[in-house]
Amino acid sequence: MARCNLDADPGVTATRTPLSRHAAIVDEVKRARGDRAALRIVGAGTWLDAGRPVRAARRLELRSLATPEVMHYEPGDLTMTVSSTMSLGEIDRLVRAEGQWLPLDPAGGHEGTVGATVATAAAGPLASAFGTPREQVLGVEVVTGKGEVIQAGGRVVKNVAGFDLTRLMTGAWGTLGAITEVSLRLRALPAVDRTIAVNASATNAWRWISASEFTPYAAELLSPSLARGLGVGESGSLLLRIGGNESLVRAAIESVASLGEPRDVDPEVWTRLSTREQPTSAVLRLGTRPSRLAAAWERVTTILERVGGEAHATARRGVIRCIIPSDAGGDEESARLRGIIGTLRVDTSLVAERLPAPLWSSLVPPAATDQLSRGIRAVFDPDHIMNPGILGELA
Amino acid sequence: MIELVEPLRAIVGEKRVLARPGELRTYESDGLPGYQKRPALAVFPGTREEVIAVVRLLAERRVAFVARGAGTGLSGGALADDVVLLGLHRLKGILSIDAEDARAVVEPGVVNSSLGRAASAFGLHYAPDPSSQTACTVGGNVAENAGGPHCLKYGVTLNHVLAITVLLPSGEIVQLGNPDGETDGYDLLGAFIGSEGCFGVALDITVRLTKDPQAVRTFLADFSSVDAAAHAVSAVIAAGIVPAAMEMMDAATVQVVEASIYAAGYPTDAAAILLIELDGAAAGLDDDADRVVALCRASGARGVHSATDPVERARLWQGRKKAFGAMGRISPALVVQDAVVPRTKLPELLAEIHRIAERHDVRICNVFHAGDGNLHPNIGYDPTDAAEANRVHDAMSEVMHACIAAGGTITGEHGVGLDKMPYMVALFSADTLNAMCNVRAVFDPEHRANPGKVVPVHACREWHAATSTRTPA
Repeated sequence: MARCNLDADPGVTATRTPLSRHAAIVDEVKRARGDRAALRIVGAGTWLDAGRPVRAARRLELRSLATPEVMHYEPGDLTMTVSSTMSLGEIDRLVRAEGQWLPLDPAGGHEGTVGATVATAAAGPLASAFGTPREQVLGVEVVTGKGEVIQAGGRVVKNVAGFDLTRLMTGAWGTLGAITEVSLRLRALPAVDRTIAVNASATNAWRWISASEFTPYAAELLSPSLARGLGVGESGSLLLRIGGNESLVRAAIESVASLGEPRDVDPEVWTRLSTREQPTSAVLRLGTRPSRLAAAWERVTTILERVGGEAHATARRGVIRCIIPSDAGGDEESARLRGIIGTLRVDTSLVAERLPAPLWSSLVPPAATDQLSRGIRAVFDPDHIMNPGILGELA
Repeated sequence: MIELVEPLRAIVGEKRVLARPGELRTYESDGLPGYQKRPALAVFPGTREEVIAVVRLLAERRVAFVARGAGTGLSGGALADDVVLLGLHRLKGILSIDAEDARAVVEPGVVNSSLGRAASAFGLHYAPDPSSQTACTVGGNVAENAGGPHCLKYGVTLNHVLAITVLLPSGEIVQLGNPDGETDGYDLLGAFIGSEGCFGVALDITVRLTKDPQAVRTFLADFSSVDAAAHAVSAVIAAGIVPAAMEMMDAATVQVVEASIYAAGYPTDAAAILLIELDGAAAGLDDDADRVVALCRASGARGVHSATDPVERARLWQGRKKAFGAMGRISPALVVQDAVVPRTKLPELLAEIHRIAERHDVRICNVFHAGDGNLHPNIGYDPTDAAEANRVHDAMSEVMHACIAAGGTITGEHGVGLDKMPYMVALFSADTLNAMCNVRAVFDPEHRANPGKVVPVHACREWHAATSTRTPA
């Protein structure tokens, strides 16, 4: 078997050296590793109360260790590299000035950092057309649990050089390392960007979405109480965001009219949707084949209306996001939530976003427990010091 | 290795194991010229069960192997150097097409364009369209994370695969991805796509199919300078228009194509041509088309011709897709290179490539995915002329380093394989290469799947140590 020894082969050595820009983060991680102390990775801290059972004595406060800055932005390339501590709002202000945008709209609004968005692979309604962070991240720099600096991917839009560490880091919840830089693909702003709503059943909405020649930026089903809460309508609605040139948007809206009378909605509704839940709410995503979404939607919304919950669904992705209000206290409340979630998840995948802490271990099976995932984790964080517990795994 | 012949024949049948040097000659090469590696033997299972039995036998005997689809790869990734070549092209089953959810489940040996044809009955197609699509397999596309002209708008293979059943080199079977919902945890599917046969063998692949566009417009724009063509590319993208494809061919390529049976009617006196395709809903497409034409003219296009019917469209595309074939007429071998630079660096890089070609006295033709900044500099040469082969190698090496220096990468869609390994150390730090080696060891602790490819092992300090620590507590 081949033995790897860089020093033994001075003829071919890696000429790229890690950037020292994030030396403070590397130092913190190395110190923690030396002390065998676990780290809770913190970006803007907007999601720290998601209730995930992280066991960590120390916090790795990325914002106090690395100033938010732009490493590289060439508008003509529609790509940018920024430090992970930049918020989505800061990025939006920068690129909008160049007639561009970053179509990522995770729950929580624009205050969250891009690093956290990538680490959690968090996606909102825009994923319907633009995909999740997986589709938009070109590369990342990561400080691993060993304190090594890894540069995954690059900053060009097409890249198959080497194994795809970028995809591994995206959605790993920091358990493989702390993301310090992110390279992203941007889009040019459309000439027209309209938000409209139409009353439609899930079945009809799905039929339109799957058969239509138009691809709305977002096409989100809203449960009746959510539609009312957002001031969009009195009954269940389809909330659409349609962008493109004027003729295209006009024709798309005419086509939507086959479902019902379209009405214009203030685009601020998307921000209200993404910041809708209370910190104590239980939030989960149910996933199914898109063609089975309508049936699941009817069942899920009926249950949620009964218990005071709300739901929205990205029909094209087959993903229903359920928000269940909770006061986050006591055994009785846990039992109530457990009962509701049990009835919701029939025949669907389940990913929990926010849960009261006691429910994580009993309700959600830990992620990344298969042999391959455990092996991957051992490669990057052999001592389990990066966000241990955040994937629901036991000590 | 000879002792494997009988047990393998017991699995796949007498004729499906090749062991004589003469029989193995066909498999000494793939799409990359200049490299010949003879496999110790070649085995061609015909069913999923046979693939599993073969890989498990190889695991038991701890024998290394190289999975191969159609062998059209351009980076030497399918070359088997004195190890077992595992040919998968007989696994041609399209297991299901689900028109309602626009997806299909296929075996790895299904030819890319066969899947497209099967899907067309439902008004669907498979979007990744490498130029070799009439021969290359979906399994090979997954291994290389293949692209193609239409990936500008639709994305590469990664964006079109929902799940894969993987046979690990150990013989274990794992399901990556979830076609019926979301997965939590690490994106092992994303890691597997583009792993160049080093992580295991795909037994079946669930792909996303794409609705055929309602309308298509194809344009041929010709320019008297490469700079002007590159400027037009940037202008179109900056205007917020995402063409389905935007391909550039330089004068050398145009002349070769036009002198071949694939002649497409390209203007032979142009310094560069752009093939631009817009697709989508019919409404709004004409407005975008008008803007594209105006932007090309404003950038200095001498003429912009719109294809008026599907036959003409097909002809314009044939010239592009068969450009590599056309080059076969002028030289015995052709290196089709692959690198990516930021789009704004295209004019600079094309000028640099021209200078490099002159310095090394080689003829470089450029035909590439301009919208993505994905260059394909090609050099035709005679591999039996050692001096010329050396000049080609030196020129390509300089081109790669120029692309890296411009902030780009060494491959956008062909993979690292054998050919690009020397450049990996210029692109990635030692710790990054090390991590890649270690991730590979998670999937293949014994390093038996496609050995000697992708990551230069000598650059991986801790690879050996990692193999003994892969199972965490």
